Order: sequence, then C-alpha cells, then structure tokens
Amino acid sequence: MSQHTDHSTGASPAPEATPQTMQLGAARGGFLSQLRVTLARRTEGRGLALLTVVVIAAAILEPVVFTSYQVTLGRVALIGLVALGLTAVILMGELDLSVASTLAVSGVVMASIPDIWLGVLAALATGLIIGAINAFFVVVVGINSFIATLGMLFALRGLAFVLSDEEPVRLSNIDAGIAFGTPLLGPLTPRVLLFIAAFIALQIFLSRVKAGREFYAVGGNRQAAMDAGIPVRRRIFTGFMISGFVAALAGVINTLERTAADPTAGSTVLLASFAAAIIGGVLLNGGRGSVLGTLIGALALGILQVSLTLSGVQVDIQDIFIGVILLLAVITDPANLRAALAGVRSSFRGREKAQTPV
Amino acid sequence: MTSESAQTVIEASGIVKRFGGAVAVDGVSVSVAEGEIHAVVGENGAGKSTLMRILAGILTPDSGTVSVGGKRIDGGAKAALDAGVALVHQELSLVPEMTVAENIMLGSPPTAAGFTKTKELKRIAAEALEEIGVSVDLDEPIARLSVSLRQFVEIARAVARSPRVLSLDEPTATLTPAETDYLLRMLQRLAAKGMAIIYISHRIPEVFSICTEVTILRDGQLVETTAISETTPSAVIDAMVGRELKLDLEVSRDAHPGEVVLSATGIRAPGVHDVDLTVRAGEIVGLGGLVGAGRTELVRAIVGADPRTAGHVTMTVDGKTSSIGGYQSAVKAGIGYVPEERRTDGLALTMTVADNVALPNRAALSRAGVLSFGAITRFVRHLADVVGLRPPEIQREVGQYSGGNQQKVVIAKWLGRKPKLIILDEPTRGVDVGAKAEIHRLVRELADEGAAVLVVSSDLPELLELSDVIHVVRDGRIQGTLPRAEADEKTVMSLASGETMVSA
Amino acid sequence: MATKESLTEAIAVAGSGAGGIEKKKFSPLLWIAENGVIVFTAALILFAVIFVNGFASLPNITDVFYRAAPIGIVAVGMTFVVISANYLDLSVVAQVATSAVIFIGISNLYGLLAGLLVATLVAMLYGIVNGVAVGFFKANAVIVTLSTTFIGLGILRWLSGGSIFFGPEDGPIRAFGQARLGPIPASALLLIIITLILWFVLNRTTFGFAVRAYGSNKEATRLAGVNTTLVVIGAFVITALAAMIGGFALAAFSNTAVSSMSDGYEFRALAAIIIGGTSVFGGKGSVLRTLLGVIFVSVLTNILVLSGIGFGFQQMAIGALIVVAVSVDALARRAAKK
Repeated sequence: MSQHTDHSTGASPAPEATPQTMQLGAARGGFLSQLRVTLARRTEGRGLALLTVVVIAAAILEPVVFTSYQVTLGRVALIGLVALGLTAVILMGELDLSVASTLAVSGVVMASIPDIWLGVLAALATGLIIGAINAFFVVVVGINSFIATLGMLFALRGLAFVLSDEEPVRLSNIDAGIAFGTPLLGPLTPRVLLFIAAFIALQIFLSRVKAGREFYAVGGNRQAAMDAGIPVRRRIFTGFMISGFVAALAGVINTLERTAADPTAGSTVLLASFAAAIIGGVLLNGGRGSVLGTLIGALALGILQVSLTLSGVQVDIQDIFIGVILLLAVITDPANLRAALAGVRSSFRGREKAQTPV
Repeated sequence: MTSESAQTVIEASGIVKRFGGAVAVDGVSVSVAEGEIHAVVGENGAGKSTLMRILAGILTPDSGTVSVGGKRIDGGAKAALDAGVALVHQELSLVPEMTVAENIMLGSPPTAAGFTKTKELKRIAAEALEEIGVSVDLDEPIARLSVSLRQFVEIARAVARSPRVLSLDEPTATLTPAETDYLLRMLQRLAAKGMAIIYISHRIPEVFSICTEVTILRDGQLVETTAISETTPSAVIDAMVGRELKLDLEVSRDAHPGEVVLSATGIRAPGVHDVDLTVRAGEIVGLGGLVGAGRTELVRAIVGADPRTAGHVTMTVDGKTSSIGGYQSAVKAGIGYVPEERRTDGLALTMTVADNVALPNRAALSRAGVLSFGAITRFVRHLADVVGLRPPEIQREVGQYSGGNQQKVVIAKWLGRKPKLIILDEPTRGVDVGAKAEIHRLVRELADEGAAVLVVSSDLPELLELSDVIHVVRDGRIQGTLPRAEADEKTVMSLASGETMVSA
Repeated sequence: MATKESLTEAIAVAGSGAGGIEKKKFSPLLWIAENGVIVFTAALILFAVIFVNGFASLPNITDVFYRAAPIGIVAVGMTFVVISANYLDLSVVAQVATSAVIFIGISNLYGLLAGLLVATLVAMLYGIVNGVAVGFFKANAVIVTLSTTFIGLGILRWLSGGSIFFGPEDGPIRAFGQARLGPIPASALLLIIITLILWFVLNRTTFGFAVRAYGSNKEATRLAGVNTTLVVIGAFVITALAAMIGGFALAAFSNTAVSSMSDGYEFRALAAIIIGGTSVFGGKGSVLRTLLGVIFVSVLTNILVLSGIGFGFQQMAIGALIVVAVSVDALARRAAKK
C-alpha cells in the first residue's frame, strides 16, 4: 500500500509538461468536408426533398405554375405566414392549434371596423390578446398546449361566427383592398412583401436576438434553460404572442385581398401550415428546426396546391394530398422513426438467432 | 501542500439538508482555499451531489451557511454564480441544437440592444476553450459532439464565467483514460492560477493524483477532512465504507447453483461494451459498480427493455432454450424485471395495488379476455401477504404507499408469474431498513426455490450480503468477477473505482 | 452483524407505526374535476326545467335524446383514446360523416348489411392507420388525427361530390330512426347499450385494463410485458367503431347523409369526455361519466337553442367548457401534488 505515497504529492507535477491543447473535435478539412459538415447540421433535408420533387413534377406537368408566379407566391405567402408563427411555438415544444381561428376572428374584427387603419390595429391587437390567452393557459394554469389551443380553436371559431352574424363581412373601404392587391415592387404584391418581411424578421429574431435564440434552449432542454437563468415562462408567452400576431396579420392580409372577411376562413391553412413547418424540419418535441425550413416547406406546399388547382384537381383531393404529406411528415420525424426501427431491429435480432439450433 | 497560507475562498458550515424524511446531508462543514484541489468522496448516496448543489445555490440548506470570500451567500443559484461559484453538473445540462459557443454562454451571452454579439460570443467561448486547452469548432451543434466532448464544453461553460470556485461532479464518468488524464492536468493548471477546485469522484486514483485535500462523507455525515499527503487510498476507502468488517456469514445461505438459465453473449448497447454474462438456477448474481458504470443499461439491454446494438440472449428453462429479442419475449420466457426507477418505470401510481400486481398476470387472472375480480383479489391478497405489504389494503392507490411498500408491490408483480429469472435493479434504494430486510429475505427465498437472480446494487453491504458471485462493472465492461468468498467491500470498491490494487 | 443491526432497526421502525401510507388529503378541486359532472348536470337540468321555456316538454326531451345519441356514442368510444393518454381522435368528425354516407348510400344500392360491412371495414382502417401512426411510430395523436381528418373528409367529399344522400322512406334505417320506446328514441337506447358494452370492455376485460394502465403510466405498462402498440391501436379501433355506429345513429335521425353533417362532433365529444371527469392526462376516467358529460353538453346546447342563442355562441360555449374543465383538472392535480 505504501506505493501510493508518491501519488499523494501528485499536485506538484509541472503544468508546462502537459500538452496545451487537445484536439477533440472533428478536424477542419477542405471545402468538401466543410460542406458535408454544414449539410449535416441543417434540418431542412426533408423539406428540400419534397420541394425538389414538387418543382420537378410541376415543371413537367404544369409549367404554368412558374409563369403565373403571382398566384403561386400569394399561396406560399398565405401558408408560410401562419407557418412562421407556428415555428416559433413548436420550437419550444408547444403547439398552437388556434391559428386558423385567430386568422378568421382577426379578419372579422378588421372588417367590422369602418376605419381601415383602426381596423388593422384592432385585428393585430386581437391576435396578440389571443396569443396571451393561449400562453396564460399553458404557462400559468399548466394545461397541455395541444388541448388548450384546441379549445381556443373551437371557441374562437364560434366568436368569429358571433361577430360576423355567420355571414362574410364586407370591407367598407374597398379601395384599400384593391390597392393592396396590386404589385408594389416589381411583381411583388404587398402580401408577398409582408411575408418576406415577416420571414426576415423572424429569421433575425431566432438566429441573432438573445431572446429568440433562447427559444431553442426552452425547447431543446428546458431544465438546462431554467438552470442557466433563462426566463422560460416569459419566452413561452412571447412565442404564443408571435404566433397569434402573425396569424392575425395573415387574417388582415386575407381580408384586404378578398375585400371581405369570411368567418370560416383558414381551416385549410391550418393543415397546410402545420405540414409546412413539420416537413420543413421543425421537430414537434421542440428545440430543432429553422425558419428557413418552414419557408421551404411552405414553398413546396404552395407550389403543390397551385399546380393541383391549375391542373383542375378539386380542393378535396388537394386536402388528401396535404393530409398524406403531414401524416408522412409526423411518422418520419427522425427521432421517433429511429426509435421505432431500432426496437424492431432489436427484436428481429433475437428471432434470427432463435432459428439456429442451440 | 496543505496551503495554510492560502486564503480560504469558500466555506460551508453546519450544512443540513433533508428530503422528506431522509437526511441527505447532516451537519457537514468544509472549506476550500485558493489554488487548492479539494476532493469530496463517498459511496453512492453519501450526500456528495447534494452538498455540491447546496454550494452552488441550487438547493437551499435546511440549516447551515455558505460563504464565499467571507460574504454569506443567500439567494439561490444566481447569487452563488455572481459570487463566483460554478458547478459542472453530473447530468449534462447542454442544449443539443445550440452551438458550442452558445452553450458556453447559455443564458448570459454578450448582447447589444437585445442582439447577440456573435463575434464577442465566439471570442469569449474561444477563450474559455483555450483556457481549458480544448479545440473544438465553435459553430458545431452540441448534438453532433461525442459525450466526452460535451463534458469538456460543460467545463468550458463554467470556466467562461471566471469563477473563484469551480466544482465538478464526477466529470470523468464518461471519459476515456486519455481524456481523463488530460482533464486532471487541466484542473491542476487552473488551480495553479489560483482557482479553488472542488472535485467529486468515486475514483480514488484520480483523487490521489491531483487533489491536495480530501473530505470523506458517509451517509450524509462528514467522516474527516485530511491532507492527501497524510493518508492512503486504502485508508480513504476504509473511511468511505466505514466498516472494516468482513461479511456477516450468519445470514449467508448455502447456494446450490443449477443449470445455466440466462446466457448473454457479446451484449452491446449505448454505454455497454461487449459483455458476456450467465446466471444459473438458484444463484444470485450481483452486479456491482459505481453509478453510471453501465449496469442499468446492461440489464435493460439483456431483457430488451432498450434495443441492443449487438449480442445474443437466451433463456433455458426445463431444457428448452429460447431466444430473447424484444422485451415481451423476455417476459414470456419467464424473466421478471424490477426497474431502477420504480415510480416512473415500475408502477402506475394512480392505480391500485391490485391493478399493478394483476397487470403482468392478467392472462392468468382472466378467462377469454374477461377479468375475474375474485381471482384477482385472492391472488393479490396472497402476494401482498408474501411480500409483507403493510397495511395490506390492496384497493389503495400505490402512490399513497411508502417507498418500501411500493417496491414490494413491484416485486409482487413478478412473484405471481413464478419467474425463472428475476432481475432487480437497485431493489432497496429509498427503502426503509425494515422493508429492506424483508426484500432481502424475498430475494433469498426466490433463489432457494430455484429461480435465477440478477441484482444490481450500489449498496455495497447489500450486494455482498445477497450475492453468490459479484461482477464489478466499470465503463460498460465487466472488470472483475468475485466469488462470494473473495468479495469484500474493499475489493469491490477498488475494482469499481479503477483502483486495481487488491488489499490484503 | 450489519444485518442484525438492520433487523433491530427494522423492528424499531415497525414499532413506530408509520404504517407505510401517506394519507391522501381531500382536495375540493379534484373532487369537482372527477365528480362535479353529477352536480352540474343535475343543476343544469333543474335550471332548465324552472327557467327555460319549452324545455320540460315531451317533444323537446325526445329531441334532446335524438341529438345526444350520435354524439354520445362517439364520445363513449373516444373515451378510450383519452384514457390512454393520447389526447383525442380529431378524425371522428370524418369517421361519423363517412359512416353516415356509407350507411345511406350503400344501403340504398346493396342493402343494410352491405352498408354495415363497408362501414365496419372503413372504421377498422381509420382505427388501424391512426393507431399505428400513434402507437408504433410514436407520432403526436393530435397531428396524426388532424391529417387523417383531412384525408378522410377529402376522400368523402371527392367521392360523394358533397351531395346529400336520402334514404328510402320505407328502409330499415328510417324505421330505426323513427322507432321509440315512449319518449326515448331507439338511438338513445343504442347509446345506452353501447355505453354498457364499452363499460364492460374498459373495466372488465384484459384489454380495457391494459388501456387504463397504459394511460396511467406508459413505461410501467410496457415493462409489465404489455404489447403497448396493440393497446394504442385497439383504443383507436374502438373509437372508430363507435364513431361508425354514431354515424349510423346520425343518419337514421334524419334519414339523410352529407359530408358536413358531423361538423364539430370532435369538440362536443371531447367536451363531454372531459366534463365527465376523464382526465386528458390519462389513466383516470369512465365511460359512464362520459355519458353524464354527454347529457350535460346536450342539455346545455338545447337550452342555448331554446333561448334563441346562435350557432356561434354555442361553439364558444363548448370551446370555453373544454378549456375550463381541463384547467380545473390541471389545477387540481397540481394542488394534489403539493
């Protein structure tokens, strides 16, 4: 046992004798390996794959989709705007099913107010309030966000009916609507420009702003976020407010373009926007995904919808398409799929061996 | 180097912390000076981690004070962090999708008008990494790093806050020997710059290679604090274990191991590297080792509760051999598995005792898929009696029972199936002494009746008392096998902690 | 010797008479969450009888029964999905309409038995697709059933062209729809029979036992050797079969079928289940209480209709009811933990 006495003075070895750095990470290689690393870090793979398929199919079958790009961009902007708001919430591992109804309610609120600017402000405020109510139930009361926003989805749909007397509400200021539909910058209509602005704003928020980056921490490892002093509850509040605000903005845009607010608006948008975010790589459990992925997902679904419409495919069949895409997107969610397949492989491993005589 | 001259940086005195009824830390005082590397050692559950969390302000002590640089710290993790106490957690607390740089500055990145100053963020992170001498791409998401590299990022995160006191809780548990060696040298360098370092480890050689002082805890109490130069590894292990007693042979049973029942070969799974294991009928095999050594992962891979990446498991019952693939095939083959976490994995807490016990036995307690409540009541009453459930109210929610009774219910679930092999992972953790003795009796009776038994336990006396043979697991491998006659606390502890010396 | 010490201590602990049980504290909130439906339903009916003109008339009561029956059948079935801690099955809205259209449309052409056969097959398909996606692929039930709703409704509208199907005046479906026992329509009796059957399945069979256990603790149930994938598939299949029968009852009520006839059923059914005291956290619940929840929701809707309150307010009320009921449950559980 005495051999340990020399260890006991072990504090003395000179630090200089040790290597000063340890290369533990992957070494930086040439351009190609750098590219591979960059690709492996991205989450947009599935979205990009779908977009590629859709673009190629559309180019062959219905090339008019790309010449009538104003229609296409309009559709992409509608799906994409709601999907952007959802992305903020899903990144934190929460869900906002009330977006479609928020879109409808805020549209009705706007159309009901004669003054156009006052209407827009009231509509956007409605979105923020709805977001805050959702967040209240999730953060303060502690209800699962799926159920809380599902209840809100139904309640708000009712509210849209009540406010509109179950009829589409005409916009009193038709001129504003017409002005809104005309291209403003080159071929880009204000709707598309607003979508681009929202995309850039959210991209900056989630990649550059401290609070936005922390959304990833809230969704990726909530305990670590709390330990690091991140105000998790406040971030969740912010996320739902963003989602509500963006959905309301989509409602405003919709109302301006159609010069009327339909209380039933938005039900297909709900499905398409979820599909856009999830196929775009935003993980339902939170922490993983990007605004860019959502944009790619929205592009894919928008082009798909418009090319189906232009091919004369009825809306019902479009719903089937998007429903199938969403279903495939959730069951091929990388984390879930890997676990499911590993379990199957493991039990088959047992069976194979069982056939060999022991 | 007892550093009488150096200034005391952190001082804790009379710390007491209770969880429910159990005392986790009981009147411990400890102080660490500048440039000192102070080891805190003890068996699993001795209170080391709780003490560290109190020092870092994450837990508030029931009594006692913590002061840094003479000033008393009150007011949680933030206050402790501001005073310069940084803790490297045992469980990794990084955000997988954020980059290395962001994780290093999580929660407090440099900002201007709410915007993260990316360049400065990377500069600070790079400095912290340079300080600990680790080179890693700052833009890499944590999810893409190896587990050991994540550990270094975690340390960089603590160092980036320029702490006066750096405490590390089992930092080498997931590291290779080369990485461990590197980490130890790094800590010496940091100490040489004047940082006070608190180092928690099970691994005695590590403690003796870098630490200057050692504080030994046992059952939440302070055994002693001594200079490393004045003690030996053997003495430290004795103090940790607290008893120089040999195994009490009075309770040992005569084992008559029969045929091999469980045979596992080449088992690989995350945290498990190529393990072979057999258990015979009537034999109690113990798996010893430190927390995080891979024992739970091993048994879960054997029964198929988690997928294994390689390996083959068979059960031989009455001369018939069957292969174990998925978990259900394990249950069908007669394996009963009592998981480590009984509240989350073992019991449906909102259901009754009867429901929980009947669940794995529902086929036997039903006819054509219809449950027979008379049969269930008789069956569960009988088993409640066998395991000594107190009070034996089988229609009560399991969640209302104490830990010991809950564990008896988990065991009762499997007893009813007359298991050919029962695997118990930490069967008596959080269980009062009375229930513990009863559980031990049950395990012995099972083996006496011819069942094969595999026990994972971090409780050394328990392991020695129950097992006919002990495999000691470290780093996901079986490091040594000790027959009952050769096993004592010290040899097990030495193997488990990597102190290969076997004492006389 | 260590053991001897332990044993003496053991005796000491046993002697101290702790008894090993923590007494459960009475929580009024939890009581309301679980049993409030009985009081609320009684109070609501009392209120309606006294204050609402036209409520306490035989034709109105019959009408309430007629409208409660299809929703009730859907709700008692969906209770299985809720108890298994998988939130809900949104696609019941598509399932009910599909079943109604099949019963009227196919029965017109090939007879009731053919209609029943096709409807059953379609229901099984719904149950299996939802169940496999949720149970095997571990996908989120809300998103899965949201997509199957759109797929299902899309197919239904596409194939039916959104048109209304009328059953023959002398057909068996019409006969069922008009059959009554005093003021109680046959469909309400069907609801009671199905509730009793599903009560039996949930409380008396090994499958129902596994569903409850799974809802209480998924991992512990898996580690008890239960094939949890099959449990989830089973819960969705039962929900789908109940929705199929609900579609039949709905078609029989009006002897017509159209793809939009079950709009809002998913929410009404969920409201009934949650108000009935089944927890969205899983594990706790009962189909009998769901039946009470259905009566509550139906009476409430009837009061609103009789008072001339529009469709929009009704939706708001149901939505608010869901959120409030879940809030009470969540707060009660949090209080109980403390």
